[in-house]
Amino acid sequence: MRSRNGNNSFTLAIFSLILFHSLALNAASEYLISYRYVIKDATLYNEQLTIAKSMKKCLGNPYDSIMLEADTNASLKKIISKNKEKFIDYIHQLGLNIQHSQKVLNSQSKSTIILTLKTTCFKVDFNDNFAKISPLK
Amino acid sequence: MKFSLLLLSLLSMSACAMGPNAAHKKEVAKIPPVKTETVDTPNETTVNVIYQEIKKEPLTKPAASKAPILKADKPVLISVVGQGVAPMNTTSPAQAYALAKRAATADAYRLIAEKVKGVNVDGQDLVKNMMVKRSTVRTSVQAMVKNANIVETTFKDGLCEVEMEITLSHSQFSH
Repeated sequence: MRSRNGNNSFTLAIFSLILFHSLALNAASEYLISYRYVIKDATLYNEQLTIAKSMKKCLGNPYDSIMLEADTNASLKKIISKNKEKFIDYIHQLGLNIQHSQKVLNSQSKSTIILTLKTTCFKVDFNDNFAKISPLK
Repeated sequence: MKFSLLLLSLLSMSACAMGPNAAHKKEVAKIPPVKTETVDTPNETTVNVIYQEIKKEPLTKPAASKAPILKADKPVLISVVGQGVAPMNTTSPAQAYALAKRAATADAYRLIAEKVKGVNVDGQDLVKNMMVKRSTVRTSVQAMVKNANIVETTFKDGLCEVEMEITLSHSQFSH
């Protein structure tokens, strides 16, 4: 036969477990995102969007967030690929580094433009129908 | 007779006191700006002399360099049109449009960077036996642009044009 104290600790443990799981499901995660694309002679040559879960905690405060529609239990990669145009427009608004070089050799021109978003930590809040993505600074 | 002699001597003395160039200088002062005059020199040779009055002004730098471009109460709007073309190996017109738009956007960003930050230009010409063998011009720009807005996008005959605007305000650069 269990004592009252023992039962109390058991129920407390159960409740704390449920609470932890519910928090973990809706908890904010941090992701590292970088983006780079290359234009050669006015034609898109290469485009790279890299998304990875941060392995250590990022410092900074969130700003300029974006809401993307999301299915339940969908990963960030899937959410972004579903709303790619919207997300890339948003990345442009955040600011991209521009590198441009043009070489004119005997009146023949060759140009290269590289636009880069350096690896930035984003805080992502997953909810039932949407994900809130905001960079940390 | 005595009186006339005295008068003549007085005149000659005054002429000597003023010197040989005095008459000449007096004449210069009378001549209006930009005028050709014939002057008899003491050696009795006639030369054409051009006189021009030049007003000297203190040397100052152009006003544009002194005045600040960005004023606190007046934001500056920069508008550019970027161009891009679709690659040859696209699977659909929609893909061609999307890729061309991406290229045009990057071009518009580059134009904004060039306008705001300026362009580095480096040129090199190789001349051999008095002939240009190789002429090279390299331009480059490096910048960070944010908060630029796409105003209009047009796609015609495989060419995509993106009109982009950015507003620069004094407060963005003051801190």
